[in-house]
Amino acid sequence: MSTDIGLAKRHNRATLLFLAPALIFVCAFVAYPVVYAGWLSMFEWDGASDPVFVGAGNFLKLAADPVFWASLGRNLLVALSAIVFQVFLALAIAYCLVRIVPAFSRIFLFFYLVPVMVSEICIGLLWRFMYNPYFGLVNAALKAVGLDSLKRGWLGESETAFLAVVVVMSFTYLGLYVLLFTAAVRSVPESVYEAAELDGAGDLRKFFSITVPMVWDAVRANSLLAIIGSLKTFSLVFVLTNGGPSHASEVVSTYLYKMGFASFQMGYAATIGFVQMALTALAAWVVFRFLRRKGDT
Amino acid sequence: MSAVRRWNRTSTIVLIVLTLHALMVIFPFVWMIYSTFKTNKEFMRSVWSFPTSLNFDAYIGAWSGGALGSYAVNSLIIMAGATIITVLVSTLAGYALAIYRPRWMPAVELSLTAAMAIPAYVALVPLVVMLRTAGLLDTHLGVILPTAAFNVPVSIFIMQAFFNTLPRELFDAGRVDGASEWMIFRVIALPIARPAMFTVGIVNMIWVWNDFLFPVVFINNPARKTLPVGLTDFVGEHVTNYPVMLAAILMAAIAPLILFIFFERQITAALIGGAVKE
Repeated sequence: MSTDIGLAKRHNRATLLFLAPALIFVCAFVAYPVVYAGWLSMFEWDGASDPVFVGAGNFLKLAADPVFWASLGRNLLVALSAIVFQVFLALAIAYCLVRIVPAFSRIFLFFYLVPVMVSEICIGLLWRFMYNPYFGLVNAALKAVGLDSLKRGWLGESETAFLAVVVVMSFTYLGLYVLLFTAAVRSVPESVYEAAELDGAGDLRKFFSITVPMVWDAVRANSLLAIIGSLKTFSLVFVLTNGGPSHASEVVSTYLYKMGFASFQMGYAATIGFVQMALTALAAWVVFRFLRRKGDT
Repeated sequence: MSAVRRWNRTSTIVLIVLTLHALMVIFPFVWMIYSTFKTNKEFMRSVWSFPTSLNFDAYIGAWSGGALGSYAVNSLIIMAGATIITVLVSTLAGYALAIYRPRWMPAVELSLTAAMAIPAYVALVPLVVMLRTAGLLDTHLGVILPTAAFNVPVSIFIMQAFFNTLPRELFDAGRVDGASEWMIFRVIALPIARPAMFTVGIVNMIWVWNDFLFPVVFINNPARKTLPVGLTDFVGEHVTNYPVMLAAILMAAIAPLILFIFFERQITAALIGGAVKE
């Protein structure tokens, strides 16, 4: 017994030593700044002169700031569209790749993953060409199919800017979920499908009755990943529209960036981040509950 | 894994639809590559047509002035620094998470999972204040440290997933011989962990190379800007010559693509390993 306790003690110390560098890094540059953001939210501060304590002032201002709430709403729309056009579309594509055209799955996966590898700045700059009002491919394609009336400056008009950004996001991140679902769909045992085939089930039937329920854990995990990613989104919006025109495609991150580093309201920017993080935690928890199947622990 | 399937009409339809869809996803990149071989005149005449001859002026134009080269050097320094820190730190922690299971370990895991979900911009204003106090604003190190910290949690989980696949007896043998925990790690675990560390290194290289938020906020000195940040400046200054602009974008995009082509298997394994944690 005594040696067991000695061993446990020794292990406890070793564990701490092995973990220490990582924990120090994460505490210093992730956890501490988040707490510090909470502290800074109580000040009005331009980043240069002395901060002025305003108590809950920034939070009240935020609560009444229509741009913040509209930005947050857009983050949620990004999340919703990510679940539909990235997660669920990717699941369908993964099923096709693994079950219907397995011989081509590797090459397709490679193509879908290219935008995942490339910097979002490069992707955004390229899509600015696609959306160009004068020579852009999107308008050219519309003209080709006789829909001239739909031609417009996609990123420059407030009605379409946000939609245009969301479309780029769907193309960009899809590949990651195709990859993750390919792994999940492959892990479904062949025998389950064989049994269904004996009963004459077609691909659509097999997809909905076997694949979707069998990989539901992956659907849940990937949806969570997509939601977290959507709340983090910054670079693509920044380079495509920078939240414009006149906040029409603003998300929380670009709004925070503008407040903090263009109009130098550092205290208010800290408030935006702090509140956003609290809401993120809440959203993650709610979704995790919501996607939980009956009977799961 | 899937049994051989007979080719039928569904297969043909699926193949056609997927091909069209994948072409849409990949088209901007294909277009970027062939457009860089056009002259600006050709480009203005027809934006979407193929080049009539191979013309490398765009690359010469993008490279001249040296701005892109110096951005690339900055990106390399930051990439190397952040990747080395992340790999070392997360190998140690991933090992501890997989091998030792004291009662408080789930709390550590939960905290790391939570850290993974925190958007980097939440820490932006505090980090600027911290870096300024430490005199690290506008330096490479000032970008390296927070970037590494934000990549550490997911990297730890990738390493943990790797160490979990190893049989426990491997380490118990060393313990019987009376080796210290550190010796067991260094002599037994570290050598076999090399491929996993390499994998974590590759994905971190790509993440850091592509990172934008921290470099754009923490660095103002043009001589220290990274490639994605410098690229946005460069593009703003070359709006009149599109092929030069596209060649610059291609130069920024090519490094991760080359890594992906050579290390596809490791990268996909790492992405799956980092995501299944949940």
